[in-house]
Amino acid sequence: MHAVVCVKQVPEQNSVKITPDKKVDASGINPIINLFDEYAIEEALQWAEKSNGQVTVISLGSDDATDSLKKALAMGANEAVLISDAALADVGAQGAAKVVAAAIKKLGNVDIVFCGKQSTDDETGQFGPALARFLGWPQLTYVFKVHELTASSIVVDRALEDTLETVESSLPVVVTAVKDLNEPRYPSLLKIRKVSKQPIPTWGLSDVGLSVGDLGGTIKISDRVPPPPRPSGEMISGDVQTQVKALVQKLVESQVL
Amino acid sequence: MASGVWVLIEHKGGQLAAISKELLGKGKELADALGQPLGALVLGDSTGGLVEQAFAAGAAKAYVVEDAALANYTTDGYVAAAKAAIEAHQPEVLLTGSSLQMRDLTGALAAELGTGLAPDVTGIKVEGGSVQAMRPSHGANVINTLSFGEARPMIASVRRQVGQPIQGAGSGEVVKVAMPQVTIRTKVRKVEERTGAVNLADAMVIVSGGRGLGSPDNYTKLIPELARVMGGTHGASRAIVDAGWIAYERQVGQTGKTVAPKLYVACGISGAIQHLAGMRSSNTIVAINKDADAPIFKVATYGIVGDVNEILPALTAEVQTKTGK
Ligand SMILES: Cc1cc2nc3c(=O)[nH]c(=O)nc-3n(C[C@H](O)[C@H](O)[C@H](O)COP(=O)(O)OP(=O)(O)OC[C@H]3O[C@@H](n4cnc5c(N)ncnc54)[C@H](O)[C@@H]3O)c2cc1C
Ligand SMILES: Nc1ncnc2c1ncn2[C@@H]1O[C@H](COP(=O)(O)O)[C@@H](O)[C@H]1O
Repeated sequence: MHAVVCVKQVPEQNSVKITPDKKVDASGINPIINLFDEYAIEEALQWAEKSNGQVTVISLGSDDATDSLKKALAMGANEAVLISDAALADVGAQGAAKVVAAAIKKLGNVDIVFCGKQSTDDETGQFGPALARFLGWPQLTYVFKVHELTASSIVVDRALEDTLETVESSLPVVVTAVKDLNEPRYPSLLKIRKVSKQPIPTWGLSDVGLSVGDLGGTIKISDRVPPPPRPSGEMISGDVQTQVKALVQKLVESQVL
Repeated sequence: MASGVWVLIEHKGGQLAAISKELLGKGKELADALGQPLGALVLGDSTGGLVEQAFAAGAAKAYVVEDAALANYTTDGYVAAAKAAIEAHQPEVLLTGSSLQMRDLTGALAAELGTGLAPDVTGIKVEGGSVQAMRPSHGANVINTLSFGEARPMIASVRRQVGQPIQGAGSGEVVKVAMPQVTIRTKVRKVEERTGAVNLADAMVIVSGGRGLGSPDNYTKLIPELARVMGGTHGASRAIVDAGWIAYERQVGQTGKTVAPKLYVACGISGAIQHLAGMRSSNTIVAINKDADAPIFKVATYGIVGDVNEILPALTAEVQTKTGK
């Protein structure tokens, strides 16, 4: 089995700045692997270990995304590919999925792709479903348990708001992981040292057979602002009885209760 | 040329979901601003009664794909049905709710059609003749304005409480669309209600507890009961989810649920930026914390400095007295 995991590098904290030309500035914030992608990596590793398979991690991002790819290699992935191109600086989730789909086709012989359900920075949740469409594969999103995975089929539980769906799919397939799908492993120091010199190929847009015109430009972000400040609040003082009486009075008067 | 604002109808047991009524209200606003009709896209295996409900909620037309293959949601089945209706009737805008199933659908549908998707939006309007959507990202630290390219329809998945339902509108025209030939590559084996499932996103009142409660017993004793008398449900900070006091599905915040209820009560929660990300757009926020400098008070509408173990029982009793629950 050959599994691919899509890994996005994101800022650890979201206390980002907005630049005068309305871009997100995360400089100075420690970059990490998107939380949900750690579950995707772990799941791929576990099933690959069972079937003597292999795991390739792919990230589309700036050159420093090699840090996250190295961590995935240290966790046990066999190969990594970085997709980096100046033309991709403002690519949205759908455009990114198109490029990664082309990269996966270039790798060839991939049976399953694991993604996170969502990135903690852009939070679109769109990449996995778009990727599946561009590959022409079925998709299983919000997966919180993989019951079985064979050379031709997979059975999973999808966790929705108030239902749990058990779904079967043919392979190849795209799966997106939710938190607690498994317990992601920590890479050992030995492994981290071992992979530090492993070369990571970098592909540009033309290496996957695409050009800027293929990316779509379906969505433009025309403005970015910080959230509006909340109206200033009111502290309620007094002893416990006075406080709760005043609070409930205010909530009832403003028809909140 | 593309024309029409469509709402993809979600339904259960023959009833329109609340989100669909809200979206028909929002869709009507957009349709009027664009000078176009409001349509409902109804997909399912048995759609009887749904079109009337959609007309009553404001739709002038209902595009219906009815087929046994649509009994359960599958990405392949629903993408194919929606695509067939869209290609036959060319709407300008398609709105859906932002439930997980609709996020699954819209991500695939937009890619399939090569059109733009504004995911999980908190606002959508017509500005100078074009459609603009607003959505938070980066744990609600950034509010983005999205505009669409040339491709149609423009698709947006929309959160709860963005639109207002319309009451008692009239009747409309039904347009049937045949289900296309499609191979559905996934098979739903079982759908079950999740035990202890909570739909925090839909709750009008959420009472959340944090590490300040001191112990899981205090949480269980104090938080669900206050939530109950307030007519809501209970949530939690990540600190106590990680500590195993309560299930992950109750977690509010950047890596949990994003909520915007009418009333959010934060009890013994410090107000870390990742927690605020999940609840700062709630209408009214009440914070109870023994530390007057806790950051949660910066977003609170009403703040009480005090010990949750003393405040909460008194508060529960007072709410009960005042509201009779
Ligand atoms: C990548 C990442 C993602 C994260 N995602 C989330 C998320 O989704 N949701 C989330 O909540 N957190 C998240 N966090 C964690 C977040 O940073 C905080 O650690 C967490 O929210 C703290 O929880 P807390 O407020 O319950 O605990 P604490 O920060 O320990 O605060 C406890 C509060 O209780 C008060 N207190 C103590 N005793 C009493 C008493 N007797 N009466 C009244 N008040 C009392 C204290 O003054 C204090 O303010 C994330 C962190 C990271 C790094
Ligand atoms: N630039 C990227 N490179 C690799 N994988 C990505 C990238 N962007 C998104 N993904 C994957 O898609 C998931 C959902 O991201 P998003 O659609 O941004 O919410 C992530 O958890 C990753 O698995």
